[in-house]
Amino acid sequence: MSLATLIATGWLLTLPQASEQVHLVVVSGLSGEPRYAERFHEWSTTLCEAAKQRWGVPAANIAYLAEQTDRDPARISDRSTWENIQRTLGDIAGRAGPDDQVYIVLIGHGSVRDGAAKFSLPGPDPTASDFADLLQLFPTQTLVFVNAASASGDFIAALSAEGRAVITATRSGRERTETLFARFLVEAYATDGADVDKDERVSVLEAFNYARREVARVYESENRLLSEHALLDDDGDGQGTGEPGLGAEDGQLAATLFLSGSAEPGVLTGEISDPRLAQMYAEKRALEEQVAALRQRKEEMDTATYEQELERLLLALALKNREIRELEGEGPR
Amino acid sequence: MNLTRALSALVAMVLAFGALASPTSAQQIDEARVAFRTGRYEEAIDMFERLTRRDRSSVAASRGFSRALFDVGRYEDAADAARRFSRDNEDSPELQNSLGKALYAKGDLEEAEAAFERAVQGGASDAPLARLNLAVLSYERGERETAMEEFGRFIDVYNVGRDFTSEELTAVGTAIRYLRSDDWQYARDALRIYDEAIAADPANLDPRVEVGELFLEAYAGGEAAEAFEDVLQVNPSEPRALVGKARHLRFAGSPGAMETVQRSLEVNPNLVPARVFLAELLLELEEYKAAAQQIERALEVNPVSLEALSVMAATRFLQGDEAESEALRARVLELNPRYADLYVRLAETSARNRLYTKAVEFAQRAVELDERSWRGYAVLGVNELRVGAIDEGKGHLELAFENDPFDIWTKNTLDMLDTFEDYTEERNDLFIFVIDGKESELLSLYLADLAEEAYERLAEKYQYRAPTPIRVEVFRSHADFSVRTIGLIGLGALGVSFGPVIAMDSPSAREASEFNWGSTFWHELAHTFHLGLSDHRVPRWFSEGLAVHEERAARPGWGDDVSPSFLFAHLHEQLLPIGELNNGFARPTYPEQVIHSYYQASLVFDLIERDYGGQAIVAMLEGYRDGLSNEQVFEQVLATSVDEFNDVFFDYLEERFDGPLSALRPNLDLPPETFREGFQRGAELTDDPNNFLSQLGYGHSYVEQGSYDEAIPHLQRAKELFPEFAGSGSPYWYLALIHKEQGNLERAAAELAALTAINERDYQANLQLAEIREGLGDAAGAAEALKRTAYIYPFDMRLHVRLAELLSQSGDLQGVIRERRAVLALDPVDRAEAMYQLARAYYEAGELSSARRAILRVLEDAPSYEEAQELLLEIHARGGGTR
Repeated sequence: MSLATLIATGWLLTLPQASEQVHLVVVSGLSGEPRYAERFHEWSTTLCEAAKQRWGVPAANIAYLAEQTDRDPARISDRSTWENIQRTLGDIAGRAGPDDQVYIVLIGHGSVRDGAAKFSLPGPDPTASDFADLLQLFPTQTLVFVNAASASGDFIAALSAEGRAVITATRSGRERTETLFARFLVEAYATDGADVDKDERVSVLEAFNYARREVARVYESENRLLSEHALLDDDGDGQGTGEPGLGAEDGQLAATLFLSGSAEPGVLTGEISDPRLAQMYAEKRALEEQVAALRQRKEEMDTATYEQELERLLLALALKNREIRELEGEGPR
Repeated sequence: MNLTRALSALVAMVLAFGALASPTSAQQIDEARVAFRTGRYEEAIDMFERLTRRDRSSVAASRGFSRALFDVGRYEDAADAARRFSRDNEDSPELQNSLGKALYAKGDLEEAEAAFERAVQGGASDAPLARLNLAVLSYERGERETAMEEFGRFIDVYNVGRDFTSEELTAVGTAIRYLRSDDWQYARDALRIYDEAIAADPANLDPRVEVGELFLEAYAGGEAAEAFEDVLQVNPSEPRALVGKARHLRFAGSPGAMETVQRSLEVNPNLVPARVFLAELLLELEEYKAAAQQIERALEVNPVSLEALSVMAATRFLQGDEAESEALRARVLELNPRYADLYVRLAETSARNRLYTKAVEFAQRAVELDERSWRGYAVLGVNELRVGAIDEGKGHLELAFENDPFDIWTKNTLDMLDTFEDYTEERNDLFIFVIDGKESELLSLYLADLAEEAYERLAEKYQYRAPTPIRVEVFRSHADFSVRTIGLIGLGALGVSFGPVIAMDSPSAREASEFNWGSTFWHELAHTFHLGLSDHRVPRWFSEGLAVHEERAARPGWGDDVSPSFLFAHLHEQLLPIGELNNGFARPTYPEQVIHSYYQASLVFDLIERDYGGQAIVAMLEGYRDGLSNEQVFEQVLATSVDEFNDVFFDYLEERFDGPLSALRPNLDLPPETFREGFQRGAELTDDPNNFLSQLGYGHSYVEQGSYDEAIPHLQRAKELFPEFAGSGSPYWYLALIHKEQGNLERAAAELAALTAINERDYQANLQLAEIREGLGDAAGAAEALKRTAYIYPFDMRLHVRLAELLSQSGDLQGVIRERRAVLALDPVDRAEAMYQLARAYYEAGELSSARRAILRVLEDAPSYEEAQELLLEIHARGGGTR
């Protein structure tokens, strides 16, 4: 399969190409109480570290704005005021390529006052509309905007646009109690467990689903009624979906977005010099595609035939992977 | 209207009457009325009597006199007072209704009817009331159409719209109340008209009593209680309100029903509904002889009382005297061929005594007798659910609800049944498990095996196989479980066995450590065996105690344990004699008495098994099945009287707990409340080394100060004094913490092992034990501890992962598969990983076909998952591929 064919399939399109960059801005808001300050800082730094250490996002592309800069001067770029957020995003807009991906993650408290959803910061609190205006700085870039604060639901309608994945921790401004969503979103990137398709990457869709399910699990285990219903919108219609997925209204774009410093090893990065290996990767991809195509036909197929064909393809794929590893010198696992 | 207004109205009424009649007599009549309406009955009787002597033509005085006599149960005197008035007043019809009521209360129905007729024909001022009484008489004879037509006429009368007296409005309300069996909306109308009656004369308590009774009929306990309380605040001795209150107390499961109805009987010893209700309470306590005595007294007053005859029929049935029961039923039907309440009462009484199949039969006959017996349909439906006829039960409940939507029990039950849509049913040869879909996969992993083991062990022990399949319903919501059991929320129990149907709380219905759902299931299944073997005639105390005894035999640590609270109750002579143990369950007199009764009853079977062998227990159950009484069963099987056994039992208790009892005696001066909910601190500390509370108290105190070395000897001593105490705050727990803190892991593990061998639901202790044992390299021991947690709170995925790993180390491959399935059942985010681990577990257990199926599911979702790919290749290499 040629590179052109792979690109034409669409699902690899949004992997950062060699020339593309991922930028991450984490904003920890006004805490109100020391325990929240501690928690927000821990989640924020964990996310930044995971982006850097685990997923290879260059340190220069990560900005962390926090309520108190003296808490961790080495990691905190600036104070999380609205002015500083504007400046930081302005800087990124100035240097980002047209196809770069920009992740903006807000961790803290939110509110709805005078009908406007806001994120609590030291100083003036920006509204969803303020953020919508600010994001105009990125007309071509792919944006992932996460508002993990309480009462954040109204941000979806305000920020929704094509080429954007917008995530909120709550489904409306009425869900005002403190949220757990950020904790598990960070956990999705910082620990194993969110990579459900085992492709060694965590998509935004996987991270979202991990977080929402773990949040629900905590509420359930504590016999509490769920008071935060996270939403994801990535089709630009301004309507979030609680259970996004490839077959749902939202989730198609988020499934292709990865907080990653580079594309996965393989044909796209041009890092493979051995043509035999490159060919094998291409064959592997082709088999994966065939599996995906078969799955799409599952409903219309006889079960036995489907299972037989699935097993044949999966065996071929397994053998191909084993060949690749052997050629790469890893040997069979 | 509030009470103050009611009292003010009473005074206003007095003043108003004073203005209408001659000042002296009117004032005196009003004073007598006030005495009557405030419960000073003897005073009222004296006053009215004097007034009737002074003025033999005074209708008000004579009616007041007759009514006051009536309310204290002097029915013959009440009739005489009415007759006297008629004689003295040239056959005036004015007291004929009063005469009829008195005769009716004595069961002289024909004479009563004639008196009511005379009141109506003669145009007495209370003729509408007499007309109502005639309609009621027709209704009670089974002349339903005639009666309903007559009741319907009250609507027309009411619609004429003249100024009605409070008494007349009460009569209209009551007539309309009867009409509700044709159309439930009449219940609302009846309430409205009763309210008008109250407004017309706030001092008239009769409509308030009727309101309370209407609410009781609709299971609206709170409203009923409020109505009765309103009455009792004005007249604390109002006999019907006291009966109503007593019925409400039973309805709410609150203590005091027996005492309250007895208060009513103190005022009116001939109040038949009070005697009947008292008999029903006694039946619930399985005191059949005492119940029969109460009914006999009621029948002495009114030999044709349908309710008394019905309850007597139920009593004889419970006593095993089927012939007498049949004869009584025939007598009732002779009096009223359509009296469905006969069978409704038989059904309800049977159900309260756990005879659910009979309850269904009786309720079926009720609705056959009267197709409009909506209560009959409700009782039928609820009991069909109890014997597992779910569809039929639901159908009958829907019919009942459609025609009587006020019945809260029915509504709640239907709401609960709606939740079954989210439940899954899994069947095997012995059981049908009905579990909420969200947790059925997980719970079935443990319940299916446990249930089969329990069934086979109990079948072998009792040499009896309970009819199967047994339906096991596991409720995620305790409220739903409560409704399933009693029709209302608020039940404190964890499970219930109706025989062929078991209902219980899911572990998710409560916090971790609140209960052990495995032992709860075992307990309930034991009931199913006891009910089946005894044909549902086993006394409650017997079955409860035996079920706890079975729990203890099931697994080390399962079942209730002795507590300081229990022993302290014994020292304070609060434990009940064996012959009265049912009272501990049905009519507890202090908060812990139910728990104490469970444990005490379980000790009875420890003793019987020790002294007579397990076969004696089976023989006792068979004795109950054959209709023997408690006393007869003890005599026949154990060759001892209940009283003699009681003495042996308490000697046994003293002997068995000699050490702990001695160690608690120094604190005998403490109030029993000191030990509420098991163990609590509060004892004054002394240096007495034989004082359990002091030793434990010092231990706790030193632990709190961080002085662990000083704490150890006290905790050790407390443990020696009361080694079976492993509840909250036990020496085992604190010693384990100290040893762990000091790095003595072996000793910490030993303490926790001892604790968990006694305490069935200490989640944290098992977790700690597993962790320590794992640290000590004891994988099998750690696994054992974690396995126990599955029956306490199985919803922590990490524990199943750990347990799978531990079981893998100890080579329990089937255990690994179960735990990996448990992880999957908990719906992990990383489903591919969980499924992969399950596939690997199958593979390692040699179950290649299952391994292949599982790994294909993994790779279908995660085709790039390298470990899974390798496992697929391994499976194929071992011949596990597609054939």
